[in-house]
Amino acid sequence: MTVATLPDPTHVPAVHRRRPRALVGASVVVAALLILPLVFLLLQARQVGWGQLSALLFRHLTGTLLWNTVRLSIVVTAASAAIGTAAAWFIERTDLPGRRWWAVLVVIPVAIPDFVVSFGWVSVAPSLHGFAGAALVMTLAVYPLVYLPVAASFRGADPGQEEVARGLGLGRVRTFFRVTVAQARPAILGGCLLVALALLAEYGAFEILRYQTFTTEIFTEFQVGDVPVACALSLILVLLGLVLLTADGFGRGSGRTSRSGPSVARARQPQRLGRGTVPVVAGFVVLAGLAVGVPFGTLVYWLLQGGRTTLPAAASLSSAAWHSAGYSAAAAALATAAALPVALLSVRYPGRTTMLLERSTFLVLALPGVVIALALVYFSEHDAAFLYQRSPLLIVAYAILFFPLALVAVRASVAQAPTGLEEMARGLGCRPWSVLWRVTLRLVAPGLAAAFCLVFLSAVTELTSTLILIPTGAQTLATQFWAYTTNLSYAAAAPYATVMLVIAVIPSYLLGRWFNRLPSKAATPT
Amino acid sequence: MTRLTATNLYKAFGRQPVLTGIELTVPEGSLTAILGPSGSGKTTLLRVLAGFERSDRGVITLGDRVVEDGRHYVPPEERGIGYVPQEGALFPHLTVERNIAFGLSRLERRDGRIARLAEMVGLGTLTGRFPHQLSGGQQQRVALARALAIEPGVVLLDEPFSSLDAGLRASVRADVQRVLRDAGTTAVLVTHDQDEALSMADIVAVIRDGRIGQTGTPQELYEHPVDPAMAEFLGDANLIRGSVDRAVATTPLGTLPLRSGTTPVVTPTAAMVMVRPEQVEIWPGAGVDGLSARVVESHFHGHDTVIRVLPEASSGIAALVARTDGALALAPGTEVTVTVRGAVLAWPDA
Repeated sequence: MTVATLPDPTHVPAVHRRRPRALVGASVVVAALLILPLVFLLLQARQVGWGQLSALLFRHLTGTLLWNTVRLSIVVTAASAAIGTAAAWFIERTDLPGRRWWAVLVVIPVAIPDFVVSFGWVSVAPSLHGFAGAALVMTLAVYPLVYLPVAASFRGADPGQEEVARGLGLGRVRTFFRVTVAQARPAILGGCLLVALALLAEYGAFEILRYQTFTTEIFTEFQVGDVPVACALSLILVLLGLVLLTADGFGRGSGRTSRSGPSVARARQPQRLGRGTVPVVAGFVVLAGLAVGVPFGTLVYWLLQGGRTTLPAAASLSSAAWHSAGYSAAAAALATAAALPVALLSVRYPGRTTMLLERSTFLVLALPGVVIALALVYFSEHDAAFLYQRSPLLIVAYAILFFPLALVAVRASVAQAPTGLEEMARGLGCRPWSVLWRVTLRLVAPGLAAAFCLVFLSAVTELTSTLILIPTGAQTLATQFWAYTTNLSYAAAAPYATVMLVIAVIPSYLLGRWFNRLPSKAATPT
Repeated sequence: MTRLTATNLYKAFGRQPVLTGIELTVPEGSLTAILGPSGSGKTTLLRVLAGFERSDRGVITLGDRVVEDGRHYVPPEERGIGYVPQEGALFPHLTVERNIAFGLSRLERRDGRIARLAEMVGLGTLTGRFPHQLSGGQQQRVALARALAIEPGVVLLDEPFSSLDAGLRASVRADVQRVLRDAGTTAVLVTHDQDEALSMADIVAVIRDGRIGQTGTPQELYEHPVDPAMAEFLGDANLIRGSVDRAVATTPLGTLPLRSGTTPVVTPTAAMVMVRPEQVEIWPGAGVDGLSARVVESHFHGHDTVIRVLPEASSGIAALVARTDGALALAPGTEVTVTVRGAVLAWPDA
């Protein structure tokens, strides 16, 4: 979400400062690298030829895939919006008992990879598949993507507006829809975009649930070696992603939230649930049971089962863990380093060119992992055979895929670091490069750490592009888990998922600590 | 200790002109205030002097060194200017000590300068603290010590007291003034607060619409403003229409002696006459020879009382403000007589 900033009369707009060449150069290189998969996809399409492409595009299969993808996206997005917004409102604005615990519990599914969630469900209910199964499982896996931004927006929004609406004679329900939801609208839309994009990109969960979408079909075509079909379907998938991004841009443009008066929030009086308490708590119990209980329960069950039958060799487990952690850490470092110049440029030197540059990096959001991976395979086959099925390619794929996450985190902390400090340092005799090292990097360190953790966490649990780009002979936790799951060896698969979750939990924990340890006072001098 | 000059300085943001021909000379070792309402371009001027912004045209010199003219531009880090911004802008990740030491080389840090500076600004015991553990006034003092640490030729202060509350402001102001005098540094203070400028500075330069309207000592500015607008900007002023001839002004308040400095005229000429409120005397009742008036309102401030009166309609004066010492309690509606004490300044119509 972007917060509209009014020009501060006492501060001269940064537009008039000259952009350092090194910063512009680095950002252009990053943007170019990020666009590369799209370029490769188009090159590939040109090679296949329009005649063949159109024949492939306008056939029955495409229609089926489109219908499957679109209807699932609509249902899951709507359900996630409803669950996420309602949960956020109850937790942030009412006297729901145990609010702090629920706040932690309802977010947990975001840390569990979707294919582990569906593994859990399928192993309890093997008959669960097709549209209904996919809709249920995916909703439970992705609703936190709406919950998180909406809860944050409720925390930041002015509760006084709700009180005023009540005072003006609106009932509770009408106040909720006309004031509360309106306040949270940008956050809800932002969350819905993330959900829809996640659905377009998901592979593992749908494969387990035997639900056919563009991504699963592209993957299958890649496996059987049908490049033209994979390419044609990728084009549609990317187009769908771009449509979503554009729609989001329009939906956001008309929304305005503002806050009047002093920016310090009053201690607010939570709304009383009264007789509604019991049904609402029951609802939270059901939600947590389904979204957290089922995946964890089945995992524990299979771990215990495995204890009696076949435990994987500890060596294979630790080697997979090493690979996962190594590739992910390298990708996290790369993505964070790439995000820094773009964030510095976009925050410190805003302008039309800069905005265009930054927006172009967001195109990556429309590129699902499978498309990025295939584009890189195409690239290495044609231009860099020595890279094919080597680790750098996988690391680069992760870095491209999760670049937007890194950018969001770094950008936020750059925006918080006051420019005055950098000028101060120059006034005290520091050269520009020295300012970057002695001031800027220190100030944005929390953002860099957050970016690293976010990318690491996402890469550890990434499956789709890992399956395509995994270096020969290597296995990661995700690919091992996948190999056993597809063989229905659930007990053998469970330890890999467990280690994956443990590795992903550490950065999540660090992330939480960074954000808590960073008092707003320390970030902005008073 | 360095003299600072700016000659014919221009700066525009897009099509919006901000500085339109600034002429400024800051004498060596002086504390010069640049006084102007918000939007007058004073902060921009300071940023151009510091080198954070480049001017479009004009010359800036620091001592004998030209730091900016049409062709050359010396970046801020090579100007040797100490800058104290509005909010202090301390580095939040560094302690007080390391903030002060920021601009110093490793060698310079060892000469005891940091401790001396911390002592000088009265923070000798707080050097281990982080900025967020300090009060606003303490933060400002650290910012000043940091600026002085590099032994700058000139210190630039951008409304350094505006973020402090009124009680703290007076004491921090006095401390800063003392520290600057002790250090003997040339200093430029930007402010919109007339009291601050008049009470602290050796020289005040008033900036209006991007250029310097008048420069002088505080007394000169208060007693001899160049035009009526300047008179109103620097303190309260009663501006009355009248006429002048040689050494006297004729007004509804009587015939008043003219202060030296009024443009001399030898034939009676219409003029605007300035009477400062402290020159206006109020006499209860109608026994004195003067202009009769009625009290509109009266505000007691402890050290003085400000009384607004409405003179009789025939005078053509809409209102007069008087500042009297002591507690002269006059209810609204009371009949009074108004006289003027001392000489007045007038601007004959051109």
